Amino acid sequence: MQSLGLSVEGLNEGEISIDITPNRPDLLDIVGFARTLRNFMHYKERLEYKLTDPNPVLTINVGKNVSKVRPFISSLVVKNLNLTDESLKYIINFTEKFSETFGRKRDKLAMGLHNLSKIKGNIVYDAKLEGKFTPLNESREMTFKEIIETHEKGVAYAHTIKGSYYPLLEDNDGILSLIPIINSNRTKVTKDTKEMLVDITGTSQYIVEKAADLFACMFIDLGANVYRVKISYGKKSIITPRMETDIIEIKPSQIEDQIGARIGFNNIISLANKMGYKALFVNNRIRFFIPPYRLDIINDQDIIEDIAIGYGYEFIHPISLFSEVIGGRLEESTKTNRKLIGLMLGLGFSEANNNYLTNEKINFEMMRIEQKPHVQVKGSKSENITMLRTWLLPSLLGNLGASAHEKMPQKMFELDLVFNIEGEEVKESYHIAGAYASPKINFNDIKSIVTSLFHSLGIEDFEVKEESIPSFIDGRCARIASKELKGFFGEIHPEVLNNFGIEEPTVAFELELPF
Amino acid sequence: MHRYVVKLLEILQEKKALGIDELIKESKLNKDSVLWALEQLQESGFAKLTKSGKSTPIFSEEGKRYAESKLPEEALLERLGKERVKISDLSPEERIGFQWLKAKGIADVKDGFIILKEVKKIEEGDVLRKLFKDPDSFEEVRKQHPQAIDNLLKRKLISMKSSEVIESVEITPLGEKEKLKQEEEIGELNRNIILSGGWKGKAFKKYDVSLGVEDAEIAKRHPFRSFLDELRDAYVAMGFREISGPIVEPSFWVFDSLFVPQDHPAREMQDTFYLLNPGRMELKEKKLVNRVKDAHEKGWHINWYKEVAEQAVLRTHTTSVSARFIYNLDKRLLASISPVKPLQLFSIGRVFRNESIDYKHLAEFYQTDGIVIGVNLTLANLFDVLKRIYNSIGIEIKFKPSYFPFVEPGVEVEILYNGEWLELGGAGIIRREITGIVSKKIKVLAWGLGVERALMAKNKGIRTITELYNSNLGWIRNKVII
Repeated sequence: MQSLGLSVEGLNEGEISIDITPNRPDLLDIVGFARTLRNFMHYKERLEYKLTDPNPVLTINVGKNVSKVRPFISSLVVKNLNLTDESLKYIINFTEKFSETFGRKRDKLAMGLHNLSKIKGNIVYDAKLEGKFTPLNESREMTFKEIIETHEKGVAYAHTIKGSYYPLLEDNDGILSLIPIINSNRTKVTKDTKEMLVDITGTSQYIVEKAADLFACMFIDLGANVYRVKISYGKKSIITPRMETDIIEIKPSQIEDQIGARIGFNNIISLANKMGYKALFVNNRIRFFIPPYRLDIINDQDIIEDIAIGYGYEFIHPISLFSEVIGGRLEESTKTNRKLIGLMLGLGFSEANNNYLTNEKINFEMMRIEQKPHVQVKGSKSENITMLRTWLLPSLLGNLGASAHEKMPQKMFELDLVFNIEGEEVKESYHIAGAYASPKINFNDIKSIVTSLFHSLGIEDFEVKEESIPSFIDGRCARIASKELKGFFGEIHPEVLNNFGIEEPTVAFELELPF
Repeated sequence: MHRYVVKLLEILQEKKALGIDELIKESKLNKDSVLWALEQLQESGFAKLTKSGKSTPIFSEEGKRYAESKLPEEALLERLGKERVKISDLSPEERIGFQWLKAKGIADVKDGFIILKEVKKIEEGDVLRKLFKDPDSFEEVRKQHPQAIDNLLKRKLISMKSSEVIESVEITPLGEKEKLKQEEEIGELNRNIILSGGWKGKAFKKYDVSLGVEDAEIAKRHPFRSFLDELRDAYVAMGFREISGPIVEPSFWVFDSLFVPQDHPAREMQDTFYLLNPGRMELKEKKLVNRVKDAHEKGWHINWYKEVAEQAVLRTHTTSVSARFIYNLDKRLLASISPVKPLQLFSIGRVFRNESIDYKHLAEFYQTDGIVIGVNLTLANLFDVLKRIYNSIGIEIKFKPSYFPFVEPGVEVEILYNGEWLELGGAGIIRREITGIVSKKIKVLAWGLGVERALMAKNKGIRTITELYNSNLGWIRNKVII
């Protein structure tokens, strides 16, 4: 499994759980999964899927009203079905999973299965403002509105109904399905169903058509016969499943150049078969036939990846780049930060590593300051997370509070990003802050620390002015500013100390760095 | 004079004379210190020492062996009592025995046979055994058996060790008159003592170096932050240049520019932090936006909306930094790229996921992204460069296939952690849908890897990811830095 790129999540007592990557919906189907493994192990490879009869066996007419709500439909007819309870369970399970994941909770794509023998006359795909029918496994008729509001499936998929029109599928006898929510009980599929109509609806024509191909392959693998359906959009019509085999041609050298291994023509063809492609060597190129069930192949790059997987990543030997090992360098901000960290350690301050995410209570309220514009997050899963911090001191005071019972004196600093909103713009800038708690400490201790930082950075020309910030004791707080650096320092207000659980006098500073 | 000397003289001035053991007790000094100080007093003529000489035997290997059994002559004598012995039949040791018997006139040779002339006790044998049992009796035995001791010494079966022992001490008249001041001992040094030379000729107070002390309060880097720098240095050593980028981004740079379709599950609000303020960020790169729109609509077959791409988010990976760099590559840099000279860049920074927080999950953590922009780059090159970087900081990694919308082929990088291979992140060759917008000739190797797990794999002392965001001062002070 691992060599196929599937990660094994659990292994116990004959059971194995596998994580399917979202690009391979064909592997969500147990039949498709078996097909892929069979090919990979070169055991009964199946590289081609063909329909016995190219002509459509029935027609679905598309009405005008769906064009704005859920414009596209594809369909197929399955005959000679031979179901068991188990295989029916698998098929239903897969359609549900497929619509949920690949279909993005049925928004992008959803599908329904009907007992074809119960369908009478013309089939129409359209949308209506209202209507009623007996939903699957229900004993009474329900209106659309009732279904949306009270039925389990209706509530779960109400989000797919964007306007006042309800997409639906109907025949001469009435509604077959409220799409993409629930089918009618009339056409319910059981293990005794021999003929099935499959409808696939969604917002992208390409995707609903490709999905029809995928389901056709699944039913063919199950031993049933698949027939085409004509979809008529008024004047225009298409036939699904198309079952066209897309062809992509790639030069072998291009494959080898992407992977970085000499693989060889013949070997590439055999690896292609292993990955489920029919492949031929034509005019110095390899012609790959994309199996109809593959919805993820956009172009040559995707096929090359499959060849690499078939080859085995563990057999790709690392090859050194001929790069000149010069020109490696740190950002200027990293270099300056390292100098500042050196100074702070020299001053006896230990480094903190705090979260950027915080909340208004910590960032503003506990610091006794007014809120100002800040970066706010939506729909957080944690109550404590509502915003990005606008300054560092709340985090540092939190650290000192958590360390209240450690030995005194305590000195901590942090140098990292803070986030402010200036005008309409988010301003991300580096700050440095230090907090110093000790039974014997006063304003001058922090002032001398800050001025020594300025002097050590070669800044002689700076100004210190009295400042009033409610986080600090009034009259014991100052603003310091030079061309390069600005900030403030002082003695923390006892109410703030109480808020953070700090038990000793604390002085602190915070400076905004010029990058 | 040393304070030990002063102390003993004071005792002697009071007691006049006393035995050595008494003096040790009185002075509370150890024996070696007392003996040393007494020699000083004697030299100055302040005290008279009474010493006694004493000798003890030391046994040679041979002497020890004979003392434990018999002397060779004793053994031979015993044999001669039982049988007639030919001189030519003697063993080397018996020959030694015969020499001594002959010298003492006990035995001789006649017609090739040994004959006994006189029967005498061998004194040396008894003496040797007695000394071996009781070495302190040497002086006494020596008085009784001077000849035997002499012989044993001559035969080098024993040697003699003599020593003198101070038994007692008495004060001299000079000492009684001497008034000594106790010399000042230097405790803590100070500037005056150093500069004045006042330390010269003085003793330093001895400290007990075995006493326990508390650790110094060391200021430290946060272990995780210091690891980030280690990782940065590993990149730089490999010729990588550091880049950085915003944390608050329009979805465009986090998702759309990386070919992540607009309906991709990772973009849902339960995984990504969308913002209330600023709710959206305007995209000014009109040309680029249109090309990205084309690539999406062609590749994913769904409509692409600018409004969705303008929704502001907290970046979910640092690949947004790489994306910005790639799309903004200027002509000069592009022209500098050659097969032998790719551009190598890295970034390290915080990323955000809307997670429920517990000991295993954080809403914010670090990621490192790297890109190598060049021509003719291969998956094998990617494996090489990643292995080199991680191996250089002592971390084992391996690769397996995986899927990410923006790379093809896609690689999952796994890290060896406590004997288990765990997911570290993704890597691959960036899709042409992205790089093709910038240049048709370039290929870009890229990776986005977790940082916390890498540190945890290296530092066995850290067991949970939340610990790395612990900034309790006690924890930082006690954390071992490796």
